[in-house]
Amino acid sequence: MIELLQYDFMVRALIAAALVGLAAPVIGVFIVQRRLALLGDGIGHVALTGVGLGFLTGNSPVLTALVVAVVGAVLIELVRVHTRTSGDLALALLFYGGIAGGVFLTGLAPGASTATLTSFLFGSVSTVDQQDVYVVAVLAAAVLAVLAYFGRELFVLCQDEEVARAHGLPVRFLGMVIAVVAAVTVVIAMRVVGALLVSALMVVPVAAAQQLTRSFRVTTGLAMLIGVLSALTGLSAAFYTDTAPGSSIVLIAIAVFAVASGAGAVLRARRGRRSGAGRDARAEPMADTISATDPGSIST
Amino acid sequence: MLPQASPAETSSPLAFSVRDAVVEYDRRPVLRGVSLDVRQGEVVAVLGANGSGKSTLLRAMLGLVPLAGGEVSVRGVPLRRFRDWGRIGYVPQRLSAGGGVPSTVREVVTSGRINRLRRFLPPSAADRAAVDDALASVGLGDRAGDSVHELSGGQQQRVLIARALAGGPDVFVMDEPMAGVDAANQQALARTIEGLSNRGATVVLVLHELGPLEPLIRRSVTLDHGVIAHDGAPPRPEGDCARPGHDHVHPHADADRTPAAVPVIEVSRRD
Repeated sequence: MIELLQYDFMVRALIAAALVGLAAPVIGVFIVQRRLALLGDGIGHVALTGVGLGFLTGNSPVLTALVVAVVGAVLIELVRVHTRTSGDLALALLFYGGIAGGVFLTGLAPGASTATLTSFLFGSVSTVDQQDVYVVAVLAAAVLAVLAYFGRELFVLCQDEEVARAHGLPVRFLGMVIAVVAAVTVVIAMRVVGALLVSALMVVPVAAAQQLTRSFRVTTGLAMLIGVLSALTGLSAAFYTDTAPGSSIVLIAIAVFAVASGAGAVLRARRGRRSGAGRDARAEPMADTISATDPGSIST
Repeated sequence: MLPQASPAETSSPLAFSVRDAVVEYDRRPVLRGVSLDVRQGEVVAVLGANGSGKSTLLRAMLGLVPLAGGEVSVRGVPLRRFRDWGRIGYVPQRLSAGGGVPSTVREVVTSGRINRLRRFLPPSAADRAAVDDALASVGLGDRAGDSVHELSGGQQQRVLIARALAGGPDVFVMDEPMAGVDAANQQALARTIEGLSNRGATVVLVLHELGPLEPLIRRSVTLDHGVIAHDGAPPRPEGDCARPGHDHVHPHADADRTPAAVPVIEVSRRD
């Protein structure tokens, strides 16, 4: 493990990966609860057009991707709010347009190849430069700060949008905050995990953590821990196997999920047996309970 | 002077004023010109068959559904300009599942104080006390650390009521608070609502039947196909307060003051 740290590029990549692992599950816990688990995916596709634009215009692809991803996220949120349905078709068009635009613009750019684009699709160990680390650090701090500032409002919003409105909360604005923060997170994660897999780092650690927890706060903390550990171990594995880090990071996160859901099942069975003797002796009818009628976007 | 919603006291200020409200879902009218005044301190039951527009009326009163016609004002202020949402406690029909991220009973109930919590700071002693009181008055004090998803439907219903109580509002809008709650806990909830009413709170609630709330409710509004079919004393098999042992207490409190704390009402614990 120590020899990894002898390579400067690896140190930079590990720092970036740790920051991504920390920030992605925090926005993830809100988008999972809001049933937008695929939002990150959509933004990732759109961000690729930004990457292509960066290659073509000779600007930093990370910065152009940031602008395009934020614009895309705002559009996605507007479509979602105004169509009242999921806006399925409009979103699909945006996603395909995003990835097609990215491939097309990169193809037009002199010197850029599909290989260059691949490093943005699935992440890359060796291409994170010093400037990238600074950008990632600043953006990760911004993501965490915004979520700490709006955390309670977002909790209410993601629990029940109507209740949030009945509290007088600015629901449209808060929805936009979630979309924009998700876009920024996608761009941070793009260098290490890749645009196509970044969403996994938002969603999978949350899905794993919620197998084991009872509170929102603990779920968030545990998801961050799982995110950081998957990102660091996945990146190291990628170094040794010479593969794209996005794949190993996501596979490790999914392995953690598998273990957690097994452990969660055991935990719940034990909890049920313990409480079964006393408190559930006069169980109320289960009609209309959440678990009976609505499993949520991620099964627990 | 505490408004007790008796017909004689029609002088208290309006909590809600609904004028010719029309609500349409996909151009299908659900409310077809409803007018309703609710005075502060009144307890009003909204009754009617499924699909008669009960929930829609409640949601229109809070601006949760857009009006196709008419207007709503809350405490004399048109809904569009109303800002004092901390005084309104809304109890939705059921706990929304969301994406399945767990949260504890305490977390959900504490979120009812969203308009009072201080940014970046943990809940204050006053916040925690209000949450404890709210939990105690719905009989869930010992379930604070449990995930809401592990509770039964009736218990979840009580969590939603506790969430509204925790914010310390003086106007409650409840959408079928008794749905899925067993008989013993319906009695307990009825006592909670009676306690609120005794302290001058306004309560508007959608009910399927009056049930244990019957002694408390002096006015019911019955909706039929989106219009008000009846507004007045509820159909009642027995006289007011005729129930044996019914002890109607009318404390003297300043009607304009928000109840300082949620009343702690002893309820029979089911656990």
